Amino acid sequence: MRSFSQRLLISVSLLLVLSFGVMVAVLDERFRAVSATALHDLLDAQMVALVTSADPDETGNVVPRLANAESRLATPGSGLYAAVRSGTSQPSWRSPSSEGSLVDFGPPLQPGQREFRYLTDLQGNRIAAVSRGLRWEGDHDVVDDLTFTVATDLAAYNQQLQDFRRGLLGGFGAMTALLLLALAGLLRWALAPLRRLALQIREVEHGGRDQLGDRWPIELRGVVGNLNTLLAGERTRIARYRTTLGNLAHSLKTPLAVLRSTAGGAAGPLVNEQVDRMSAIVEHQLQRAATSGGTSVGRQAVDVLPLGQDLRATLLRVHGYKDFALELAIPAQVQFVGDRNDLTETLGNLMDNAAKWCRAQVRVSAAIARSTDNGSCLLLSVEDDGPGIAPADRTRAMERGARIDEHVPGHGLGLAMVRDMVELYGGSIELSESALGGARVDLRLPGRMR
Amino acid sequence: MRALVVEDEAALREAMHRELTAAGFTVDLAADGEEGLFAGNEYPIDVAIIDLGLPRISGLELIRQLRSKNRRFPILVLTARDRWQDKVEGLDAGADDYVAKPFHFPEVLARLQALLRRSGGWASASLSCGPVVLDTRSQTVAVNGVPVELTTFEYRILEHLMLKAGEVISKTDLTEQLYEQDYERDSNVIEVFIGRLRRKLDPDDKLQPIETLRGRGYRFALARNPS
Repeated sequence: MRSFSQRLLISVSLLLVLSFGVMVAVLDERFRAVSATALHDLLDAQMVALVTSADPDETGNVVPRLANAESRLATPGSGLYAAVRSGTSQPSWRSPSSEGSLVDFGPPLQPGQREFRYLTDLQGNRIAAVSRGLRWEGDHDVVDDLTFTVATDLAAYNQQLQDFRRGLLGGFGAMTALLLLALAGLLRWALAPLRRLALQIREVEHGGRDQLGDRWPIELRGVVGNLNTLLAGERTRIARYRTTLGNLAHSLKTPLAVLRSTAGGAAGPLVNEQVDRMSAIVEHQLQRAATSGGTSVGRQAVDVLPLGQDLRATLLRVHGYKDFALELAIPAQVQFVGDRNDLTETLGNLMDNAAKWCRAQVRVSAAIARSTDNGSCLLLSVEDDGPGIAPADRTRAMERGARIDEHVPGHGLGLAMVRDMVELYGGSIELSESALGGARVDLRLPGRMR
Repeated sequence: MRALVVEDEAALREAMHRELTAAGFTVDLAADGEEGLFAGNEYPIDVAIIDLGLPRISGLELIRQLRSKNRRFPILVLTARDRWQDKVEGLDAGADDYVAKPFHFPEVLARLQALLRRSGGWASASLSCGPVVLDTRSQTVAVNGVPVELTTFEYRILEHLMLKAGEVISKTDLTEQLYEQDYERDSNVIEVFIGRLRRKLDPDDKLQPIETLRGRGYRFALARNPS
């Protein structure tokens, strides 16, 4: 789909070229007609001068008397030619200027006949010639049918025409270029609000803002208003959805807790086992439902460091009866772009796993890197100095319900949930070995520098 | 020990009542947030168990209100959802630990007892003695504004010493801070942690924050800064 600017520029350029083309053609035609008339008039004037100066010479041939020897007719190659023919096509007289350049003046004419035609001289130059047939009545009742011809080289005329055309095309070309330039500027100015809107929508997607600004041209106000309503509505919907899920969890888990608290006797172990299973299923399904993931509406820029600090404090309490250090190597400017809850659960699960498995050390690091599509992305890694995950077990570790070691508590949904969430965000997850000696989980998620 | 149970599900409330009484607690029961707020404000409670999903006043709001009225007893939160967001929010509001439903009662009891051992008049989330500042909320320690990386056990010992700054703390008392059950532990373990703490807090040996009192225990020697 071409952009508005492209559409407008292309159509306006076509229109300009078309209308200017027609204009150039008409002007050119008019100019040519005017110059042709001028040429005619010039030649006719010469003809009149020639005819009036003509007199029979001593041999009886009618010869024009050239007024002075400097005239163009007397200079060879001057471009103005004249000839007189009597009955034949061979001239009885020709001007000195036509010496060596003009041979054929065309057929003779009947008295009273006039002719205008184009000729070609020996050098191949185009020549315009006016001929007139006359009946010459001499002194001794000699009657002679003569054809007077005046011809001029068209080089100067053509030069003039070309100059005119060049000027015309240059002028119109410059005007077209100027108009298109002005149009481009105009479009830039007129479409600036649309560009601003696109930028703001991108900022909403990347979490830079949560509403589109105000102050829009009247044509955009409706659309922007609707978009803002949609954004707000969608956020409220997600929040309400989460609350509902929370209530649902409460109303499902409390009966389970009651069941467990009253289970005793022979059925006790069985009830406990089933309660555990059911609780895990409820938790997993609710967790999946609550992950908002890729929807760009709920995306915000979330500072990773404070979230990591909150989780650190929580985890130190949760794993309070184990001696280990939890180090956060997270620059303060690093931000995750997405839903705060999703990052909390993901990072919480990874840090919890690491705390469970580590001997004495857990490290969480974060950085912003350039992504493949030239944007930026968040690289998160959680590593520990525990036993690690054998390469053969790594795929299995991310499957739902999988547990590598049955002795460490945990319902085994942690990594599967992390993988689900990472996939929703179009990110990636990778398990490897840490330099600390244990497992290392690397996540690639949407992110940016503050 | 007087325990307050705020739980809207009657069967669960009764079960907790039974178990806690059997464990030697005096139990106050509340069925919603308002009753819980009243009991928490009026009775000399030693420890509270609060469900997050309460009618009328939510569990989080109840904790915030109790903390804002300077009720400092330890609070154990019951969450329906095993979510980090809930745990973080709960601890942020002022709870001290949490258990996810459906819980095993022995776990609840163990956590209650651990909380009771640790509690010691937390007037503020931040304890500062001389250049040493310990934040009980974020569990971080800084000396002269420079963060010091401590392990969980090192932190726990320092927290206990600083909470009772100026008092002599016995090795047994410190051992109880570290281990869930009262195992017979080699008291050398505490000496090792104290040695590590001294090196991390005072690498130049100028500050001397922890005093050893032969045969009696340890004392945090830096005076508490006036708040």
